[in-house]
Amino acid sequence: MAFAGVRWLLLLLPGSLWAADYVGNNVCKTCHPDVWLNFYRNPHYKSIAAGALPPERTGCEGCHGPGGTHVEARGGKSNILAFSVIEPQAVLDACLACHARDIPRSNIRRSSHTQAGVACTSCHSIHKSPAPKSLLARKQADLCYGCHATVRAAFSMPGKHRVNEGFMSCTDCHNPHGAASPPWRMGLRPRMADTALGNEESCLKCHTDKRGPFVFEHPAVRVDGCEVCHAPHGSMNTRLLKRPVTATLCLECHNGAGSFGRQGDGVKAQSPSHNMADPRYRNCTTCHVRIHGSNADALFLR
Amino acid sequence: MTAVAIELLAAGGLLLAQQTVAPSTEPVARPRGEDRNGYNVQHSFETGYRFRGVGGNVPQYQSDVNFSSGARLLSSSLAVHSKEGQGRLFDQISLETQGLGNDPYQAASVRLEKNRFYRYDMVWRLQDYVNPAFAISGGAHAFATVRRSQDHDFTLFPQSGFRLFAGLSRNRQAGPALNTVQLFDSRGDEFPPAGNVRRAQNDYRLGLEVRLLGMKFTALRTWEKFTEEWPLELGPSTGFNRDDESTLGSFRRAEPYEGSTPGWRFHLFGERGRWFAANARFAYSAGRRNFRFEEAAVGTDRFGRGRNRQIVAAGNGRRPVSSGAVSLNLFPSPRLTVVNHSALHHVRMEGDNSYAEINNATAGLALLQFRFLGLRSIVNTSDANYRPLKWLGLYSGYHYSTRRIRSREQLGAGPSAELIAAGQDNRIHAGLAGIRMQPADRLSIHVDAEVGRASRPFFPISERDYHTLGVRAQYKTKTVLMAASTRAANNTNSVSLSAHGARSRVYAVDASWTASTRFAIDSAYSKTHLDTLSGIAYFAAGRQIATDQSLYVSNVHAGHLGARVGLGKRADLYAGYSRVEDAGDGRNALAVPPPGRRPGSALPLFRIAQTFPLAYESPLARFSLLVRAKLRWNIGYQFYRYREDFLPSQNYRAHTGFTSVVWSF
Repeated sequence: MAFAGVRWLLLLLPGSLWAADYVGNNVCKTCHPDVWLNFYRNPHYKSIAAGALPPERTGCEGCHGPGGTHVEARGGKSNILAFSVIEPQAVLDACLACHARDIPRSNIRRSSHTQAGVACTSCHSIHKSPAPKSLLARKQADLCYGCHATVRAAFSMPGKHRVNEGFMSCTDCHNPHGAASPPWRMGLRPRMADTALGNEESCLKCHTDKRGPFVFEHPAVRVDGCEVCHAPHGSMNTRLLKRPVTATLCLECHNGAGSFGRQGDGVKAQSPSHNMADPRYRNCTTCHVRIHGSNADALFLR
Repeated sequence: MTAVAIELLAAGGLLLAQQTVAPSTEPVARPRGEDRNGYNVQHSFETGYRFRGVGGNVPQYQSDVNFSSGARLLSSSLAVHSKEGQGRLFDQISLETQGLGNDPYQAASVRLEKNRFYRYDMVWRLQDYVNPAFAISGGAHAFATVRRSQDHDFTLFPQSGFRLFAGLSRNRQAGPALNTVQLFDSRGDEFPPAGNVRRAQNDYRLGLEVRLLGMKFTALRTWEKFTEEWPLELGPSTGFNRDDESTLGSFRRAEPYEGSTPGWRFHLFGERGRWFAANARFAYSAGRRNFRFEEAAVGTDRFGRGRNRQIVAAGNGRRPVSSGAVSLNLFPSPRLTVVNHSALHHVRMEGDNSYAEINNATAGLALLQFRFLGLRSIVNTSDANYRPLKWLGLYSGYHYSTRRIRSREQLGAGPSAELIAAGQDNRIHAGLAGIRMQPADRLSIHVDAEVGRASRPFFPISERDYHTLGVRAQYKTKTVLMAASTRAANNTNSVSLSAHGARSRVYAVDASWTASTRFAIDSAYSKTHLDTLSGIAYFAAGRQIATDQSLYVSNVHAGHLGARVGLGKRADLYAGYSRVEDAGDGRNALAVPPPGRRPGSALPLFRIAQTFPLAYESPLARFSLLVRAKLRWNIGYQFYRYREDFLPSQNYRAHTGFTSVVWSF
């Protein structure tokens, strides 16, 4: 069953290949010694070490298909499943023949990467990976920055998560293989943000004190997620905030305008005890200290 | 792929991101390792000394960079692989470390594996973080904490149809922290009590996976424990505001907080032949936290009268969360994929709080407060991916989401307590479309667009009527990568008496060229424009202003240039420069823009803050010399400069550098 995908891909190749014979790894390494030399370090070597698997499920031909025709023709890319020339969709199908049933890849068919034509081999180098894990073609952040230039710019800002410092990586928060609908915002975006702890926003994996539950939750956090106020990759403002001062950040929601908020009559506006002409009132979190959620005060004052 | 090409790729990879100057990235050689008793062993470590000198605002430097002087094990790696995959106790050991010693960002990862029998993964991290907070708030809410986290995952029979999982994650945060408290009434002064914060989270996991009848079923049981303590104390203080007469004699607060979140996760995957696949997942967690809060404060209020306040509060918060999703994948032909995804998310947040306050102004106050917030969202998305020609791909999608938000709130105690209940529904419809083209062998072009319409969004700044349009073109060979992209996004969310509009434009270009193993260059530039205009309402000098606007303008220019040059056969030089600048709205000084020139607030204090010009740059250079076949010496320097136009007291310049040796075998 698992290798039906590879067999199916072979249908795209010349008819002779579909009926070709499996020749075994020993034949392959005769012409590809550079690949074979370090293949024992490759996670795919496990299929060879297992020993008892049928030829279509092990070694070189487990991925590249039967090599009989390839050998008879003394090489060539048209008579074998050569990943450097096949279409992204075909690469995906070939890899998913084995890897589809892992939970982190269960949404790959609908992921933004798949829709943009990003194939497995765009990020993974199966035979020559310099990375110690996951067969990545480069260091993970370099791979992502290659397409996501503005994200790269965000991580160069003074306020940022420490990705460039090597402390964390993109996959701490994102699933590049596609994530399930996030349980915050309206279930549509962000599309590649992974959930943490089963069904929480990925920020809460590290920022444990923000998880709660609290008696008084700040609905902004639970309803639309942390990115209502924060720019998670990086910000020119302190604390990854979207605005340089907290007053405007808060007031843009807390304006009392009808139809918004929990009761549909507006997100509560500030009380007359505030005087915004006085600078001391512009930093809301000086008094509303537990803004992510409080147990002791409905207005997050303690 | 030849060895030379691999070297080229590796060299190119070294160039892409502006990293910190150390640890170094130049390889010692291509070590083949040593063969011993059926295993191949590769080992390398880099050890050296970091130095730094900071001028200007040191806490701001610590918040942004935080490298300090001292000896370090900058990086190390150990890889042991069984040559035949038949090792006795293990087939693979992989160990990577970074920054051990005293770097602010330390990490280690371990993988230990025996084919078919077990696999163990561990990641350990430490971050030393300083948060100096806003200068404009008098340094309130400062943190200098160390966070340590570790994740352990063990899998038994990793390659079989029956697998068992066990895992443990630990997260600790501890260190001194400064908070603020406002006393003794709603217009009283703010005081800065301090104390050590201690937070601890343990997450335990146990599960199994079974493959049966073409289906794969996974079940995972989780338990999370969390505790927090943050006792605060402060002696006599006059508070932040000099014109406020409030004074504090003593302040003490204790608020221990603990709880657990048990949960379940299930996953099911099935595939039928070559035309159909389905998977489903369900997760449930039932969080509960118990707390107690005690506070005592003595001082004088803003009128100079003696005051004391004692608060005792206790209660608990509860939050059961259920989420489930089902994906159906259809492959009618090799060129067409259709995916339908449905998801349900349900949260009930509730909690009660018995609150007692005794002070000599109110002569006592007792409350029982209860709040409930329920969210239920349903999502259905359909996406189709079609490739009619080898060089042309099309996709489209329709995404629908509906959400119901319910709320109940009780303030007060007894039969006369007010109970407020409300509910509302949101819906959003979004359409997506995209085209992938490959007009030439190495050239790809991708165009995508999304249009969305929402009814009754929850917040005034939420997406309501929005659209995005993006284009990306890329030319890529083994040695050259050139890319250009642009993206535009607009959102309008307007109701009567309030209007919000957000507009962003992004332009980016990238180019890298790895000419040979001796020379490579990489460059990138992006511009991000963002402007938002939002309706705000507030009180100023006793007068309500309900029709003001908040304008925010940001123009971020980010550039990076890096080059790696081989000097002879033994030496390498890497030089890079990174700069990010927010040009704001064009101002370069703290000044109030004249009203009427552009939209924005009527209040001068808000007009000042509608933009925030800032420049942050960091050039670096690293020289690396191959002393012997397996020994390399490195020296490097990196400069950081942070410059705000509005608050120059936050500015700093930092000189950092290192020298190290890398040894591998």
